[in-house]
Amino acid sequence: MSSVEQKDRKFGVKQYIPIAMIGISIAFIWMGFAKYGFWEDLKGPRPGFFPVIISFALLAASLLALVFSFKEKAPSWPLENWLVPLSVVVIMGTTFIIGLLPSVGLYVLVWLRWFEKCTWRTTLTVFLIIMGIVIGAFVLWLGVPFPKGLILNLIAN
Amino acid sequence: MENLQLLLDGFSVLFTLQNIGVTILGAVLGLIVGAMPGIGSLAGVALLLPLTFKFNPTTAIIMLGALYYSNMYGGAFSAILLNIPGDSPAVMTALDGYPMATQRKRPGQALLTSNMASFIGGTIGMIILTFMGPALADIGLKFGPAEMTALLLVAMTSIGWLVGENPTKGLLLTMFGILLASMGMDTLSGSPRYDFGSIYLLGGIPFTPFVIGVVGFAQVIKLMEERNKKTQVSIEKLTIKGSMITLHDFKRLFFPAVRSGFMGTFVGVLPGAGATTAAFMGYAAQKSFKNEEPLGTGAIEGIAACEAANNGAAAGAFAPLLALGIPGSGTGAVLLGGLMMWGLNPGPLLFTNSPDFAWGLIASLFLANIVTLMIAWGVIPFLIKILSVPTKLMIPIITVVCVVGSYSTSNSMYGVLIMFLSGVLGYVLTKCEYQTAPVLLAFVLAPLLESNMRKAFIISQGSLDIFFQKPISLVFIIILIAIMVFPVVRPLLIRLGLMKRKAS
Repeated sequence: MSSVEQKDRKFGVKQYIPIAMIGISIAFIWMGFAKYGFWEDLKGPRPGFFPVIISFALLAASLLALVFSFKEKAPSWPLENWLVPLSVVVIMGTTFIIGLLPSVGLYVLVWLRWFEKCTWRTTLTVFLIIMGIVIGAFVLWLGVPFPKGLILNLIAN
Repeated sequence: MENLQLLLDGFSVLFTLQNIGVTILGAVLGLIVGAMPGIGSLAGVALLLPLTFKFNPTTAIIMLGALYYSNMYGGAFSAILLNIPGDSPAVMTALDGYPMATQRKRPGQALLTSNMASFIGGTIGMIILTFMGPALADIGLKFGPAEMTALLLVAMTSIGWLVGENPTKGLLLTMFGILLASMGMDTLSGSPRYDFGSIYLLGGIPFTPFVIGVVGFAQVIKLMEERNKKTQVSIEKLTIKGSMITLHDFKRLFFPAVRSGFMGTFVGVLPGAGATTAAFMGYAAQKSFKNEEPLGTGAIEGIAACEAANNGAAAGAFAPLLALGIPGSGTGAVLLGGLMMWGLNPGPLLFTNSPDFAWGLIASLFLANIVTLMIAWGVIPFLIKILSVPTKLMIPIITVVCVVGSYSTSNSMYGVLIMFLSGVLGYVLTKCEYQTAPVLLAFVLAPLLESNMRKAFIISQGSLDIFFQKPISLVFIIILIAIMVFPVVRPLLIRLGLMKRKAS
């Protein structure tokens, strides 16, 4: 069996990116012409001028990429990988309640101790290193005012 | 001679306690980040970008320059000791570095060969940069909007063409990056554009969280696939004394390093080519010279050729970045974005308007080269420990740096949201074999391209003739057309070749 025959010719994830780009380029072209303007004789190029030209180029590149995508292998998407983005969503959510720093601290502890099954010693060492970097570099040195969350704000008030 | 005087002035800017301190800090961080497999210089520079906000622009970019530069050294460590390149330019180093470390039982010498060659290649690159940078800027001063538009289009499309296996994907992402950058506000008229009614989008997509996401966070998601891999370091102990090379070893590495240093520098100047291409070319060229041992079996000449080439390229890439405002790689794009954030506009006028900054940065590269060589030599005994840090511990560390770093750029969760979205986008793109470097380059260069393109069309009153009337822009347009047409024609040519072969 040749390598070309092994490729996945079915419609799938690998077509999503070119299709999304086709949609984006059409939307930008339409908005560029209809909302922002392309060219005026007296004023010259309008705000939509440049994005519209680029959108046409994106449309052409996306159509080509779509054609070529049928000759590519479909990528695998290990479910486990999505735990990282999921953990950031959880951090963003808990930030509004307990603040950003406690959220990232809690995340490190939970991730290492319960997900990675690290020993308490390793977990606490990494926790201390991370919190040292965050507090030392970002809080003390850069002076970043991290959000305190609902609970701390209530206590403070 | 004038350039040497200006370089000396640059050293006087550099020699403050703070600047020397950040050069050393950048060199140490760059070595560590570069040595750890799977992070790379691009992610390293992106993740450390927020830490430079406290400094003045000169100090900040000196630190980033040292970080970027020392990363090239660090990438070779894991390539030599683990056969896992820390960064793509170190791929070729592994070919001879790993056999020299394991089969020939000379790991310390392999590391020192790589360090010495990096130093020689980098020094050559910096000397050429000292003379070529201002010369390129002088040429750049003659460029009008039409020439700049054509040059920027060539730079953007060539990186899309050279990075990755599929040029169409590179072009697609280049255009996408430009569109993302055009969201927010029209730079010429100041009117809102593609903001979709959002007050946040009115200011455009913030650069730092976007870069941290596309490069750093996307890389963490990918690292999950390697979290259970155990790092096997077969070498038991490394010492500084045991890493010394003989005079004969030095003679073997010197000439390949000098040759590749020159070649690498000129490759580094070309947009899109970068350190990886230079390392490949340096190694390929070394094959045509006499080597004491065959390349690929642990030859000193092989390690020297690719390491000198990639460090030469890293230094050479600063010439178009500073003189024309055109980065040659994704990492260069992040550096350029950083410069713009601090209100500096790299381009032909940089050497005239901000000589302190331009020459201070070049001087800092010289210092970083020396400092990195010394530190790289000094850390040899600790390398096994650095390389043995499990990936599963790196994942939460980098995730937290991504979240906290992106928050600190805007002091709002909007930065974290942008980092998150661009990270997921970067991961999906990488999984579908799209290289993200063109998006970064296009994102950074888009405002410059738009302003020059619109000025050119205002001058010509909408006529395309302006791009074909002047010889410089005409040459760039011909190159651009060749770059654009090649991806379309290439499959047809391959198919035609296959048909002919079948017929015969």
